[in-house]
Amino acid sequence: MAERAATYLGDDITAALAVDSTPPSSKLSPGDWAKTNLFSSAANTIVTAIVAVAAGLLAFFALRWIINADFAIIRANLRIFMIGQFPREELWRPWASGYVMILGAGLTAGAMARNSHELALSQELESVKEGWGQLLRRFWPIIAASIFFVSFARTVMPYIGLAAAYVLVVVAREVGWRLPAAIRERALFIGVALFIVAMLVIAGTSRLGGYALGLVAFLWALSELSRVESLPTGFAGTAVRFVVALVVAAIVAIVQNLIPHDGFGWEDWGGLHISLFTTVIGITLGMPFGILLALGRKSNLPVLKTASVIFIEFIRGVPLISLLLFSNLMLPLFLPIDFERPADLTLAIIVVTGFSAAYIAEIVRGGLQAVPKGQTEAAQASGMSAAAVQRFIVLPQALRAVIPAMVGQFIALFKDTSLLSIIGLLEFLRVSDTSNAQQEFVGKGLASVTYLFVAIGYWAFAYTMSKESRRLEAKLGVGHR
Amino acid sequence: MSETQAINTDATQVGGTGKVMIDVVNMDKFFGDFQALKNINMKVGEQEVVVVIGPSGSGKSTLIRCINRLERHDRGSIVVDGVELSDDIKAIQNIRRETGMVFQSFNLFPHLSVLDNITLAPRNVRNIPKAEAEATAMELLERVKIPDQARKFPGQMSGGQQQRVAIARSLAMKPKVILFDEPTSALDPEMIKEVLDTMKDLATEGMTMICVTHEMGFAREVADRVVFMADGEIVEVGTPEHFFTNPQEERTRLFLSQIL
Ligand SMILES: Nc1ncnc2c1ncn2[C@@H]1O[C@H](COP(=O)(O)OP(=O)(O)OP(=O)(O)O)[C@@H](O)[C@H]1O
Ligand SMILES: [Mg+2]
Repeated sequence: MAERAATYLGDDITAALAVDSTPPSSKLSPGDWAKTNLFSSAANTIVTAIVAVAAGLLAFFALRWIINADFAIIRANLRIFMIGQFPREELWRPWASGYVMILGAGLTAGAMARNSHELALSQELESVKEGWGQLLRRFWPIIAASIFFVSFARTVMPYIGLAAAYVLVVVAREVGWRLPAAIRERALFIGVALFIVAMLVIAGTSRLGGYALGLVAFLWALSELSRVESLPTGFAGTAVRFVVALVVAAIVAIVQNLIPHDGFGWEDWGGLHISLFTTVIGITLGMPFGILLALGRKSNLPVLKTASVIFIEFIRGVPLISLLLFSNLMLPLFLPIDFERPADLTLAIIVVTGFSAAYIAEIVRGGLQAVPKGQTEAAQASGMSAAAVQRFIVLPQALRAVIPAMVGQFIALFKDTSLLSIIGLLEFLRVSDTSNAQQEFVGKGLASVTYLFVAIGYWAFAYTMSKESRRLEAKLGVGHR
Repeated sequence: MSETQAINTDATQVGGTGKVMIDVVNMDKFFGDFQALKNINMKVGEQEVVVVIGPSGSGKSTLIRCINRLERHDRGSIVVDGVELSDDIKAIQNIRRETGMVFQSFNLFPHLSVLDNITLAPRNVRNIPKAEAEATAMELLERVKIPDQARKFPGQMSGGQQQRVAIARSLAMKPKVILFDEPTSALDPEMIKEVLDTMKDLATEGMTMICVTHEMGFAREVADRVVFMADGEIVEVGTPEHFFTNPQEERTRLFLSQIL
């Protein structure tokens, strides 16, 4: 409904998220467990033995390799791996930006967890606040990887910085949990706004930043106004809402522009930072576009339908690399001469957004088809308009059905950001090559060290996403339907 | 009781208050080449309860789905409360607002709470303020005797409870007519009664209803008229008593012998 602007998913999902879905662990002693699982039959015993020997050998060689490996290359390049070519005197920016982001994430996560918790309680479902132990288990790959990364630091600063980050997460989550209900309901807006502010801390205030913050303010104002029931209904009410929201957006954008804060242009961003950054942008922008494309593909208007189909099928029909190259080499040729060439990262973000939108569109289409016809009919029979039927009945059910597939797409997108190196961006994987080309390390055959380091980075985030997706699946399987 | 008595196939003599609520004239409906409804003529009066029976595939669902335009009829005319059904989407939506529908498979919205299921259309279509819509919803839940289920989700309720929520949902739009398509066919026997009781209450309160149902006990108690359909045609029309004691057409007798 209108006042629940933040979620398309419906209350039963929100509540289900708070219900513990972990199956009760079996109470076997280690000996019994081994007996039933490892040595239950002759065949099983042989398999266990073979795998054990192989694992032992692997561990032995891995350990010997690690002991002999020279990690100096990581130590020398840690900063580049993380954030690219940031000058030392600008280092405060990524740190400050990271803290703002962590603050936003912690607040939002805490507030939303509390919302789910309250809702579950109101439905008489069992719900307890998630303990820190559980959170540790959920996010251990990222936590472990961050500690692993910092362990290569040559100064004490990063250690302190990381410790402070974790303290901030804990505090922010607790604060978010305790916020008053009225603020908690708007947590998503706060989270998104803080995310953009975090970006602006690095990039500086700009017209683009104004648009981004203005958009958030616009959506927020719209959702606030939709709660006001004294406004006239129909076209007049809609017009009033839009105008007021636009004014709010304009004020926010202008205030943002007035703040004098020079930035560090994002042509020079790099490392794990842009890998994560493009993924997050690709997901958050690709989602709404993807949903619109999926609806467009189902539309009765031939123009809309054809345009959606062409876009989706074209993007899905060619490799991401070719799209990146096209945007980088060809697109500027089509632009007017006096048009300032957009930064590589800007082009990359546009391509990645379009790319993920096309894939998300196909996933959503599957979900739309899975919604039973009776749902649409029941809604139509009550006199709802076609748009309202989609908005309130079809989309919420379609989207929930495709959450796992969607997360799979996000993971793929994250790994695909390694292709950004093709157009000269210094993303995470590319740093491995550039550091091996440095004078002191060239020809020393250290690529295996840097690749291992990078692999651990990718794995930590991809595996966490995959774990979270399975957790979500288990939760949504609880109770209803 | 004589064998010469003519079979009554005229479904256009209205009962109720005498005011015509639904008027179907010479209506045909095709699915591709297959004619699902053949020259249907039927009137339903205000406050009248009409029960439609007939074998599977005879076109009962298609008939009532044409009345609120879930299916588009091909020939003839359908007028509901003075508004003719055409391709005009505004007219269609106006008719749908006044016409509730209850489905065999409930079709509650699984992602919305019972309260939201009931208040969605009034708020969205009629622009009723939230508080008022919820107050009405609670009254309706009271009326279908499950006020304690308001916060639950459809998946957490029994079939009988779900169907009663579906009835409350259609009542929330304050319709002038309610169309029932085999509302008890998907229910376990012990839940059929609670739904039929709710429907009987509605009939007693003067709601205009068309019910596709094979519950002849219900028909006997509340129906003003029973319409028997076969092969897309109206075959026989009469009072419930007529069908129990004196069905004329061979197909009617055969059908009744199977369901009674
Ligand atoms: N969408 C459709 N496309 C093609 N044929 C259809 C469609 N809907 C119904 N029919 C056909 O029209 C005829 C009448 O169907 P209808 O569902 O109205 O029967 P019914 O009397 O309600 O039967 P039941 O008691 O099984 O519900 C059937 O032969 C059916 O196969
Ligand atoms: Mg039917």
